[in-house]
Amino acid sequence: MTRFPDGFDVQGPVQAEVFVVWLAGDHLELTGPCGAVPWLIEIGAADHPVDVVTRIVSDVIGDPLLVHSTSWRRDREAVILSFVAVIDRSLVGTMASVPIERTVLARGEATAAPQEIATTQVVEHGLRHLAWLAVDDPVVAAELSAGWRTLLATYVPEPFRNLG
Amino acid sequence: MDDEMITVRCVCGWETTGAEDDVIVATTEHGRRLHNMTPTRDEVLAMAVARTQVQDSPVRQPGRGGR
Repeated sequence: MTRFPDGFDVQGPVQAEVFVVWLAGDHLELTGPCGAVPWLIEIGAADHPVDVVTRIVSDVIGDPLLVHSTSWRRDREAVILSFVAVIDRSLVGTMASVPIERTVLARGEATAAPQEIATTQVVEHGLRHLAWLAVDDPVVAAELSAGWRTLLATYVPEPFRNLG
Repeated sequence: MDDEMITVRCVCGWETTGAEDDVIVATTEHGRRLHNMTPTRDEVLAMAVARTQVQDSPVRQPGRGGR
């Protein structure tokens, strides 16, 4: 039997960490059903991570505009797949939401991961990844509004990468 | 009403307090819906904190998001 000595927590060797983001006028905000924090979702052995994240975001919040995995790292005794889920502002409703601040990225050594990675740095990289997709992937570009693309143009484009 | 009340907390901030059966239902639904987890009854009870003599505390419902 799985034990939860510290309360209910997401378990498993693969977990998704979803950052639900939306365009609030001239800036981006982080929201989610668990608050304006990373939303953890267990990925079962037979699950496809993108399918699970898309299904649960749709069921709990509403259909997202985009769901994209932006990085991975080792943490919480698991492999954490980070996702950015872009939603329309009409879906935010009463969920807590906070502006996303810019930050420097966590950088590792040539063959080693960064010692510490803050949540804000994962979001920063996720948005840099979206910035890359917005100019490289016509499907992503088509889903993002002009306001989104203008904001993402201020981020340094980066591909998917290992953060730790 | 003198049933023992129990509380389960999720690391995401969600919390529910109530009678055992109600907490099990609410926690199972929260886990399935928001975290893709289906804890068993025993697993829910293993993470519960007893709150005896807490009367008339309704079980809080899982977060529904904003739609």
